[in-house]
Amino acid sequence: MNNKKWKTVVPTAVVLAIAAIALGGCSERAVIDPQQQMGKEPVLPAAKNFLIPPMQVPEGVGWQGDAHPTVASGLKIEKIADGLQHPRQLMTLPNGDVLVVESSGPGTEAVTTPKQLLAGLIKKRSGKGAKGGNRITLLRKQAGSAKWEQHVFLENLHSPFGVQLIGQTLYVADTDKIMKYAYTTGADSISDAGSELADLPDTINHHWTKSLLASPDGKKLFVGVGSNSNITENGLAVEYRRAAILEVDVASGASRVFASGLRNPTGLQWEPQSGKLWTIVNERDEIGADLVPDYMTSVQEGGFYGWPYSYYGQHVDERVRPQRPDMVQKAIKPDFALTSHVAPLGLLFYTGRNLPAMYRGGAFISEHGSWDRSPLGGYEVSYVKFVDGRPTGQKLPVVTGFASADEKSLFGAPVGLAQGVDGALLIADDVGNAVWSVTAGSQPPVTK
Amino acid sequence: MFDLLNPIAFGFFVGALIFDVIYARNGDVLWVKAAAWLISIGLVVAVVPRLINLVRVWFPGPQRSTGREKAAFFLNLTGVAAAIVNAFVHSRDAYGVMPQGVWLSILTVALLVVGTVLTTLQQSNNYYDRAQA
Repeated sequence: MNNKKWKTVVPTAVVLAIAAIALGGCSERAVIDPQQQMGKEPVLPAAKNFLIPPMQVPEGVGWQGDAHPTVASGLKIEKIADGLQHPRQLMTLPNGDVLVVESSGPGTEAVTTPKQLLAGLIKKRSGKGAKGGNRITLLRKQAGSAKWEQHVFLENLHSPFGVQLIGQTLYVADTDKIMKYAYTTGADSISDAGSELADLPDTINHHWTKSLLASPDGKKLFVGVGSNSNITENGLAVEYRRAAILEVDVASGASRVFASGLRNPTGLQWEPQSGKLWTIVNERDEIGADLVPDYMTSVQEGGFYGWPYSYYGQHVDERVRPQRPDMVQKAIKPDFALTSHVAPLGLLFYTGRNLPAMYRGGAFISEHGSWDRSPLGGYEVSYVKFVDGRPTGQKLPVVTGFASADEKSLFGAPVGLAQGVDGALLIADDVGNAVWSVTAGSQPPVTK
Repeated sequence: MFDLLNPIAFGFFVGALIFDVIYARNGDVLWVKAAAWLISIGLVVAVVPRLINLVRVWFPGPQRSTGREKAAFFLNLTGVAAAIVNAFVHSRDAYGVMPQGVWLSILTVALLVVGTVLTTLQQSNNYYDRAQA
């Protein structure tokens, strides 16, 4: 009898123990107050490995009727374009026209693990993975009216993201190369077939966006190239010239690595006071809902910012083999943390005069939101004040309400930012398929 | 059917163990990705033979199942449970799989080996009994 009992008790205990381990390693909710992960000294908990990483994905539903994002007091918001095909980036042309880059990933990442089969389905749910137009649409404000016309400006692109104008030449960063096109002021479409200036890293394209910024003298183009993995799970060989900002010579097309260790630098801008290059970076996933905070930093020539070996200076990531203590030692700590998993995809130093004084001279950051945090983080456009070329204080929410209050539905998600000629803050919304304009004023109540 | 499918799942788990050991030593992601597929496919293949075994052990008909058969059932069950946890461990990125991945692979294979030995002993016993009768 005793023997028989033993035979059932032991296996049951083993099964229960394994189940307990399984549950213990399951998803956790964020516990650190986001306010503590903003600024120069973010609080960083210990890294954890999960069986299922923290995960929360609202369902993409779009904006119903006149619904729109919520703005801070002293501001009003209006939709200046809709019906777009996954708008990602914006650029204002000197004559006031606005270019909207409509794009999505090239879908060239092979399924090499069972996990990728499931991850694809989760992303689809949010609407963030919807098919992009692979084109640029031009928005032009009709004279004497608040309406904006839409013109198809440039088509048949290959997952474009960054766009810049130097003189009369338009540069477009496709996922695999920089193309250049002749542009005439006032044109509503490009007739030039274009030519290739430089090739860009394009294997796998785990992170496919190539952000673009011209130097003030028009001689160089800076390109933000994301890593080919979350944390080297595709091997180190495919990370060549990735997780870096490349500098491309406009005259010759020759390029070099300007700065490295930046996991996914999705936005580049010149800080107007100091003239320094700044970038926003999407940090690594799957070691906690409160790790690793995404950041904004000034970029030093030749600087190394940690990825993949470490984060926030010398916090070693154990998932990388081989470990490189020499590189960890070199890693520069970023300037300003934006809290964890907010997914910054747009950066704009505001130099206009339209918005209230409190928004002048600092940086707007659009936070697209990530799957790897519960409760949701990001899904808003925020503002960080700069004094003498340095960020100060806390990050303030400015445009919110992209996700529903119960965090189940996603109406929109902010991506690229631009400043209109009238000083408006323009926001591309790739889930709502719209472009929003934020100006000084007060929001009229919603008519139902 | 049971004799056909049961060793296939076992083979997948043994393969995963070998690849996990290689990855734990050299850190080349090829091996851990391969191990992740082997564990996932092994679990899918294991479904049918485990169900057949469940019916045979707990609804045996006139001839009652022996203690050995019951022990083998539980050993296989815990082995598969360990492999399920291991499939999740293998969904981590790069070396985050280690060291738990290789320990769970060892545990899975060890449990299935003991289970298989007990089953084989039982079968040879049955054969011996029949030969005597």
